[in-house]
This record gives sequence, structure tokens and C-alpha cells, in this order.
Amino acid sequence: MAKIVMKNIKKRYKNSDSLTVKDFNLSIDHKEFIVLVGPSGCGKSTTLRMIAGLEDISEGDLLIEEKRMNDVAPKNRDIAMVFQNYALYPHMTVYDNMAFALKIKKMNKSEIDLRVKEAAKILGLEEYLKRKPKALSGGQRQRVALGRAMVRNPKVFLMDEPLSNLDAKLRSHMRAEISKLHRKLGATTIYVTHDQTEAMTMASRIVIMKDGIIQQIGTPKEVYDRPVNRFVAGFIGSPSMNFISATCSDTALKIGDFTFTIPEEKIEILKSQGYLNKKITLGIRPEDIHHEPKKEKNNSNTFQATIDVSELMGSESLLYTSLGDSTLIAKVKSTNIANGEKVTLSIDFNKIHFFDKDTEEVIQSTNQSRLIAIS
Amino acid sequence: MIKKIRPYVYLVPAFLVILCVTLAPILYSIFISFIDLTKNVHKLDNPNLWSFIGFTNYINVLKDSVFWSSLVRTIIFTVVTVGFEFILGLAIALILNEKFRARGLVRGLMLIPWALPTIVNAVLWKWFYDADHGTITGLLARLGFTDGYSNILSHTTSALIAIMTADIWKNTAFVALILLAALQSLPKDIYEAAKVDGVKPFQRLFSITIPLLAPAILVALIIRTMEAFKAFDIIYIMTGGGPGGGTQLLSFLAYQQSMVFGNFSYGAALAQIMSIFTMIFAVIYIRIFYKDRG
Repeated sequence: MAKIVMKNIKKRYKNSDSLTVKDFNLSIDHKEFIVLVGPSGCGKSTTLRMIAGLEDISEGDLLIEEKRMNDVAPKNRDIAMVFQNYALYPHMTVYDNMAFALKIKKMNKSEIDLRVKEAAKILGLEEYLKRKPKALSGGQRQRVALGRAMVRNPKVFLMDEPLSNLDAKLRSHMRAEISKLHRKLGATTIYVTHDQTEAMTMASRIVIMKDGIIQQIGTPKEVYDRPVNRFVAGFIGSPSMNFISATCSDTALKIGDFTFTIPEEKIEILKSQGYLNKKITLGIRPEDIHHEPKKEKNNSNTFQATIDVSELMGSESLLYTSLGDSTLIAKVKSTNIANGEKVTLSIDFNKIHFFDKDTEEVIQSTNQSRLIAIS
Repeated sequence: MIKKIRPYVYLVPAFLVILCVTLAPILYSIFISFIDLTKNVHKLDNPNLWSFIGFTNYINVLKDSVFWSSLVRTIIFTVVTVGFEFILGLAIALILNEKFRARGLVRGLMLIPWALPTIVNAVLWKWFYDADHGTITGLLARLGFTDGYSNILSHTTSALIAIMTADIWKNTAFVALILLAALQSLPKDIYEAAKVDGVKPFQRLFSITIPLLAPAILVALIIRTMEAFKAFDIIYIMTGGGPGGGTQLLSFLAYQQSMVFGNFSYGAALAQIMSIFTMIFAVIYIRIFYKDRG
């Protein structure tokens, strides 16, 4: 399938002073599943639409298979797009919706029939071919939209929030379906979403954007384990990472009235970057805070907490409490902790992150930053 | 109990108004189409003299050659005016749906012909066609289409064309307005999908836009067909049905029979026949456009 390169791409809308997309650089390999993720207005959809040719590229180069595509019409880019609202032709049957683009290309009827039926089979739409979109459920419509893209056998699939109109259960089902489809077809796919779960579960690489700027590019594991700044750290993962104001001396970490002993290598990082005895932001993922029913009260990594709210999620519980001046969420194994109860919680300090209070960039050892740069 | 009755009590005034101004005249018109009510003063004042004559009035209408020639003329008038209004209206709507400078102003201007009362429109066009001073008469003469100033409204064919032109000029705006409103509510992403699919503009119009506009087209066509079929005021002002009945459409014939000649029952029967035609149009349109919409 196709290799896509985006070099210094910028987008400025008419009558707008600021850039919607600022200096977007990305190289996408054959068969990759790239997810552009970010809050609304971050420029992810605009980027996708520029690749599709539905928006002009203000500056920079878009290359598909080493061919510059900036001024090539959408239909000649050999792409197929799946839209958030499905964008099915309401007056055509499922069959005609899928066949339409091929009919326009004047492909012969038997070939069209073959392709449509093949796609319908893969997507489980065979019995709905004669129906109009109106007579289908949201999930079925989305599958028709996928089918319409599939029959064209494009080099690149573009998907613009294709699952956001579906209910939660159907969404997780379709997520798996799309991943399966991607493995089967092996087409390069660029997928836009604001849902970090979709990004984490489907992507081979995630591109996290904010205000038109790429924050980080990496595999789901990389962006989860080694976020480059506070924004990425907070955006990826559910519930979000906890951010707490702290100060670290060369012996202990101080949060509010609590003092913790943390691994030496962590202190070393702060020391090497000159953050000792300075205010920093500490990032702790909710799953790195544990409930310690049996441990002694004053262990070096535990603290006493009053649980404000305890939410039972099934096999896990979310505990809302506070540490220092900050609210803290802990994701623990399901317990019977009641609201208002006092419990002992421990923090896995091996997995904490440090962020600069002002720049919000991650504080890491020089070695680590070199590693990230290479990856 | 009172609670149950109350809503109906509130509806009574509205119902009474409808009864008096719509329902009663319709029922009365149907009633007199089955009796022999003519301009006989004694008969008009004395219902005892009215006799029920069944479908005689209807048979008389259907036997009348004037009815048939008027019907043909009405059909020609309807098909031509609605046809042109639809094609021009769609074209204007498509143009006004594009972005260009002063679009708002052009949209406003487009509505002027439709905003004019029909009578004003008719008088205006009557002047355009005036045999001695008419703008159009003069234009045709100078462009060499006619030998000097000619009286357009005094020849059967040219008079009918002239009236149809005036009607098209006025009502195209209405069709354009309805179609433009519908165009603006069409989902944009369908067009983007079409763009990515490589649909050409011509295919886009016939395979996507027109099918998507079908409900609005249906509404516009039904309204316009019904109005064209009962066109009266424009003829009354411009030609009075002349020359020699050459622009006499059905509603004008019904008016003439009832109000001028005093054949009230004949006129009423004719009006009922027109209603049936109108209903047939509506059913045909709905069948065509909703045939595969369930």
C-alpha cells in the first residue's frame, strides 16, 4: 500500500490570523494505522481533510508514494474516506451506495458486482444490500460507509471520527472490526478521533495534537509510558494522570505535609536537570496508586487518605481523594470502601513522571531524552 | 368531564371560521352543481323552485367543445409554465447556492417578482406588451422579429405565450426560493464523499442533488401545478380570456359561465371537475417521487 510523507504542512483559513495547523511533519509507512488524536479544534480533522484534498494546503508538501499531491484532485489521490456522519447517499440502496464510485469509473458490471458482494461479505452486510440507509442502524450504516471505501481498493483509507455517532457498546465492537479489517486489507490508514481509547487500541502509531501542533508521535505504549509533556500525559490514559505540586530535596519528595522516600534514580533525574528544591509538577497515573489494607501506616511510600467518593466500576474502583492541594484519583481493585472512609494508599514511585511547572515539558534524564529522540 | 371537553371548546372558534369561509362554500358549490340554478331572478330567491337534476350539469360541461378547448389550453399553460419555472428555478437556486459577492442582495432581488401581487405583475406585463408603447413590442420590432409594432395580445398564440412568460417571470422566483432553502439544508459531507469518489459536476446534479431535492421539488411542483391549473387573475387582467376565447383557461371559463352568463350550476360543475384534475395531479406527483421511499 502507500507511503505518505507530510513536510512542513501548514493550514491557514481565509479571514483567520492564526494557523490551524502549524508545521506538520509526519512520515507514514506502508500498512501503518496512524491515529491523529487531540481535543476539538486541534487541527486533526483539518490535517486529514488536507490529505483527502478537501482542504487546500497553505504551505508544505504532501507526498503519496513520493508523488506531490498538493494540487491533485481528491479523486486522483487514490484515497477513500469514511465520514463521521457516514455521508451515505440516502436515495440509493446499500448496494448502489457501494457501487456508485465504481460505476462512475465505468468499471464493468460484473467486476462491480464482485467487489460489492465481497465487501458486503466481509462486513456482514449481505442481507441488507437492497435496503436504503434509512432502514439501517448506526453501526450498519457505518459498515456501509466502510464498504464504500473498501470496494474502491484505495491506497489510503482516511477516517474522520467514524465511530463518534455510535453508542458505547457498538463503538467498542466497531473498533475491533476496523482493526480486524485493517489487518486483513493491509491498507495504510489515517484515523482521526478525539477519543484516546480509540487511539490506544487501534493505532500502530499515535499522533497527539494540540492547537495545530504535534505534541508527540509514538506507539501507544510509548506515549503512555513516556509522555513528553503534561498535555500528552493528561490526554492519554483514562482516568487522566494526576498532577500534583511537589518539591524534591536530595533525600525525599515533599507533597503538602507529606514526605515520601522515592527511588534514587528518580532523584538523580531531578538533580541532573537542576530541579532539586524547586517546585515541580508530579504526574501519577491512577493505576499506580494502590490500596494497602494491611500495610503499616507510616511506610515510606504510603499516606493516609480520606476517600471523598468511591466509584465502583465492576472489577475496579475509582477512589477520589486529595493529596496536598490537589485532587487525586486512584484506580484500585474493587473494594468495599465507603465514601468518607479513611484508608492507606501507596504510590508506585518507580512509575512517576516529573514536569516543569512553567513549560510543562517532561523532566527526564539526558539519556532518556536521547532515547525518545531516536525512537 | 370538563377537562375532556375544554380543548374542543377552544377549537370551536377556529372551526366556525373554517366552516363559514371554506367548508360551507365548497359544500354549497357541490350542492348547486347538482341543481339547475341559473340567472333567473325568481329561481335565485326561491329555493322551492330549485330542482335536483343529477349529473346533467356535468354531462353538459363534458359535451361542451369550449370546455375541451379550454382544458387543452389549460394543460398547455400548466405544463409550459411549470416546466420552465422548474428548470429556471432550479438553475437559479443552484447559482444562488454558490458563494459569490453580494449573494444576499441578489437573493433579495430575485424575490421581487414573486413578492409583487399578481395583479400588479399582470398590469406591468400588459404594458410591456402594449401595441403602441410596449417595451417588449418595441424591442421585438427593433430586433426585426416583427414588422413594426404589433399587437401581441390580440393574436391567440402570441397572447398565450405572452401570458405564460409573465407567469413564468413571477413564479420562477417561488420555485427557486423553495429549492434554494432545500439545497442549503443538504448535508455537506455527502458532497465531500462524492468529491472523493470522483463524481463529476454533471453526475453530481443528476445522481445526487436532484434525488436529494425530490421532496422539495415535489412540494414546489404540486403547489405550482395547482396554481397554474387554476390561473385566473393574470388572464383576467391581461386579455380577459381573449382574443376570441384564445387565452381562456378553465377557471376563467368557470368564472365567465357563473358570474357573467349566470349559469351558476354549470360553473359549479366545471369547478368540481377542475378539483378532480388537481387531485389527480397531486396523486401522480406523490406516486412518482415517493415510489421508492416507502
